[in-house]
Amino acid sequence: MARPVKKSTRPCDDPRLDYKDLETLSKYVTPQGEIHARRKSGYCSKCQRQLKQAIKRARHVGLLPFVG
Amino acid sequence: MNLYEGMFLLDNNVVREDWNNAKGTATGILEKHGASISTARRWAERSLAYTIKKRNRGTYLLVHFEADPGSIEIIRRDLELNETVMRYLLLTAEEVPEGESELHEAELSAEFSVPEPPEDHVVDSDEEEEEGGSSEQPAEEAKPADGDAPAKEEATTEEAPAAEEAATEEAPAAEEAATEEAPAAEEAATEEAPAAEEAATEEAPAAEATESSEEQTEEKSSEEA
Repeated sequence: MARPVKKSTRPCDDPRLDYKDLETLSKYVTPQGEIHARRKSGYCSKCQRQLKQAIKRARHVGLLPFVG
Repeated sequence: MNLYEGMFLLDNNVVREDWNNAKGTATGILEKHGASISTARRWAERSLAYTIKKRNRGTYLLVHFEADPGSIEIIRRDLELNETVMRYLLLTAEEVPEGESELHEAELSAEFSVPEPPEDHVVDSDEEEEEGGSSEQPAEEAKPADGDAPAKEEATTEEAPAAEEAATEEAPAAEEAATEEAPAAEEAATEEAPAAEEAATEEAPAAEATESSEEQTEEKSSEEA
């Protein structure tokens, strides 16, 4: 019997990633400050790019570390 | 003319002397090159993730402004030369976010006062907790916590407006969620209701029986007395 397709609960349904939203961004970096891989973040490629951009912007203005 | 969002990291030493002066240096550069400021407000004062220009803390100024795309390059050059602005980030924006103009107006009112920035070595308390919780580094790293208590106070006062903002933003979403859930909840209720009634009817005689037996025993005991 075919299992019912599990509906995606991945966060890319509504990312709205902003470099000022540190609460969200800090979930997607390791303790050392590295950006989570896509398989860990669960984001699609489009959202992963947004995440990357947002984290890099936050780093530039000193909100997130380059190296933890 | 395009709408831009600018984030400026300002030197706390200048902010400590006069906030409006520090704000004016950033907005002044924009206006000098023909930009018209829509909103400009103090976003936060916090400890930096890494040392920038030998400073460990800084005040963030968030500005939305309209400017000619050609002037941005010149604005960038001026910002680089300015020493009050330690870092800047200029992005195009589609619109001024909701609530931003209210916060801008609030800052213009006479009642607004900028809290004194803490000393440069003070580390924000929430960040320390994060470091302590998630990092596997030895405790030596987290030791310089002399100014812990004042930093905590500062953090709470600073975060208050942000929290309000978040609350207003989340409110409609919560309402939507509630309305979406409501029918589902009703369905569940109707499904459960008959079952509950059945259960009640089943239990009821039994309950009555026990009650009556209790009454009888009570009566007996009273008679005996």
